[in-house]
Amino acid sequence: MTGVGIDALARLPRRRALLAASVGVLVLALLAVSWVQVHQYRLLNETTKYQDDYLQVSVHQLQAEYLRLRLEIHHASEEGLRDRDRLQLRYDVFVSRADLLTGPSAQRLMGHHPAIQDTVTRTQAFVARADRLLGPKPSEDLTADALRTLDGELAALDAAIHELTLEASHIVSAQAALRETAVNNYNRVAIALTALLSLSTFGFALLAIGQLRRLDERRRALEQLTSELRLAQRDAEAASRAKSAFLANMSHEIRTPFQGLLGMLQVLDADTLAPQQRAHLHTARDSARHLLAILNDILDMAKLEAGTLSVSPEAVALRDLVGDVQQLMQPLAAAKSLALDIDVATQLPERVRLDGTRVRQVLYNLISNAIKFTDGGRVTLEVRPDGSEWLAFAVTDTGAGIDPDMLPRLFQRFGQGDDSPSRRHGGTGLGLEISRNLARLMGGDLTVQSAPGRGSRFEMRLPLQRTDPPPADVTDAPATAAGLAGPARRALHLLAAEDNAVNREVLAAMIDLAGHRVTFAEDGAAAVRAAQAQPFDLVLMDLHMPELDGIGATRAIRAMAGPMARVPIVALTADVFPETRARCLEAGMNDFLTKPIGLPELTQLLARHVDASLATAAA
Amino acid sequence: MNVMRRRIVLAAPLTGLASYAAALEAPAATVVLTVRGALAQASRDGKADFDMAMLERLPQRSITTETPWHSGARTFQGPLLREVLAAAGAPRGQTARLVALNDYSVEMPLDDARRYDVIVARQLDGKPMSVREKGPLFVMYPFDTQPQLRNAVYFSRCVWQLRSIELA
Repeated sequence: MTGVGIDALARLPRRRALLAASVGVLVLALLAVSWVQVHQYRLLNETTKYQDDYLQVSVHQLQAEYLRLRLEIHHASEEGLRDRDRLQLRYDVFVSRADLLTGPSAQRLMGHHPAIQDTVTRTQAFVARADRLLGPKPSEDLTADALRTLDGELAALDAAIHELTLEASHIVSAQAALRETAVNNYNRVAIALTALLSLSTFGFALLAIGQLRRLDERRRALEQLTSELRLAQRDAEAASRAKSAFLANMSHEIRTPFQGLLGMLQVLDADTLAPQQRAHLHTARDSARHLLAILNDILDMAKLEAGTLSVSPEAVALRDLVGDVQQLMQPLAAAKSLALDIDVATQLPERVRLDGTRVRQVLYNLISNAIKFTDGGRVTLEVRPDGSEWLAFAVTDTGAGIDPDMLPRLFQRFGQGDDSPSRRHGGTGLGLEISRNLARLMGGDLTVQSAPGRGSRFEMRLPLQRTDPPPADVTDAPATAAGLAGPARRALHLLAAEDNAVNREVLAAMIDLAGHRVTFAEDGAAAVRAAQAQPFDLVLMDLHMPELDGIGATRAIRAMAGPMARVPIVALTADVFPETRARCLEAGMNDFLTKPIGLPELTQLLARHVDASLATAAA
Repeated sequence: MNVMRRRIVLAAPLTGLASYAAALEAPAATVVLTVRGALAQASRDGKADFDMAMLERLPQRSITTETPWHSGARTFQGPLLREVLAAAGAPRGQTARLVALNDYSVEMPLDDARRYDVIVARQLDGKPMSVREKGPLFVMYPFDTQPQLRNAVYFSRCVWQLRSIELA
């Protein structure tokens, strides 16, 4: 199929040349035909203009007039002049006829015949002599002797005049023959040209038909190619969907054991350990966290490439979001003895619409980068409005700065502003690329200003979307305050639905560390039965379980009579897809906890929900 | 049927010519042109004689053209043939036989006189023509304004040394 296309392309110039040649022949033939016609027209016109045929008549008339004049003069010389006017008329008519011999038409046809020229000269000589007697101003009397002499002279012209008529006949017929030959030649040329015209028109038609057919073929080939491409695209899209599904599965499969690993490391950390052992444990924990960060980056990148990463804006308390970031980043900064300053402009609204998770992700990335590349001084996060339309998050550091020729490559994959083989700063090198993609996905952008030795300034601009202030009782400011205040004040009884044994052990250890009790259910159905049997303060619900999954179990619990219908239910999930979250909220869940679960996150969550529910119950 | 229709069509301009005609005076000088034959109002002996002065008094036209008999373009001037015929007294026929001094003659459809401004030229380049100069009268078609007339048929009707016109 493509072979046909390439072949056609290769033949194109040759065909075009043929087409041009046939058009050229056509045009030339048409030009030649018009040339022939012009010449034929000119030939005919000339004949008409000079009245060639008329010459013969003229000469014959001259001969007749010659004879009549001779007769008249002969009579006059024999019998005396009786009617001078009559003689004068005959003479004048003869002269007017003789004049024709010197006219343009006669000269054109006969001028080069010596015999004729001789006749013309002799006739003119006779007229010159006769004019003395019969001209407009006669100088001699018309005596009988003069008439006799005239008669003799006229008789001497006889042979010449006769010769003239014969010659004129010949000339005219020769001329006619010549003209006929010319016309015949022109006709032959015209016929040949017509044949050529017909042939080239035929050839042109053939070429045009061929061209049309090839165009048709090419169109069909293109149509086939299009349908093949469409199929290929469908296959590619299917493959991409399969890849996305695989990624979702992988993220679940990888995070689950990670949760176990990190959880157990945290549990171990709470035990009494020798300082050496604790140092080893921290190294293991940091490595695991690092590995998880890399894993998250790679998954995000894959999703960005597959186009499956979407943002879901929601009403977010801006200052809480920034507080979360500060809380998480503060230990990192402190570890390098850096100051982390947070500055949120006071004129900013309490709540804005944005994807909190993604904004946090970008800010984590920017601030951890800043900390990573700064050895002394401070890292600042400024949040301020940029005009009335934009919200700007600026992360400034007093670090090494970035070389100008590195700046363009900064947001490219694996660009770290440091090409040195030592690569003293770890990481996937995907962070900035992901951050910028996320910023753009959210309708904004991520830009950088930097100079070596003068620090860097990364600024994320996002559309500023104001939102209505929340109802007073849903505000989570007190909850956050409680969360920041540390573990909840009373021991809670939790129900955890989790099918994975390792996760159950981790959860048990963490909840125990936080000072609470837990009852486990190994699948959704068991969770529902447990909830029916006794009340719990909060339910942790894994989403992927046999028998009845988290969503189904939540619906069942929400459908129960009694206080358990209003119990806070928190999803435990490894995937962070917005659709999953939407489905959870729809089923009646209150919050999410992303695996692997850390102890701080768990205590914060418990503080948030149980305190809130207690507050509601008290009210 | 067809012939009849043509007659009817021709009748109208002929009547027009007839009404134009006035009683023709007698020539005062040498007769240079005689019209005879089918005339509705022939003046004397069934013929009409013209001298130069009479021809000069009729509406004139001039034609500047090349001819087969002269070198270069020449200007012919004289009365329109149809005016001459009308003055002669309402021609009724279809043809006019133009006869020259040397008895050369040619037939011309009267229609030519109506359709074209055919003149009976009296002057060549503003001067009278002698017999030697193919005068004194020279029938000339308007080749200047109607070049399509330049063919053997119309050239042959350009009679020079015109002496008489016989209508039939």
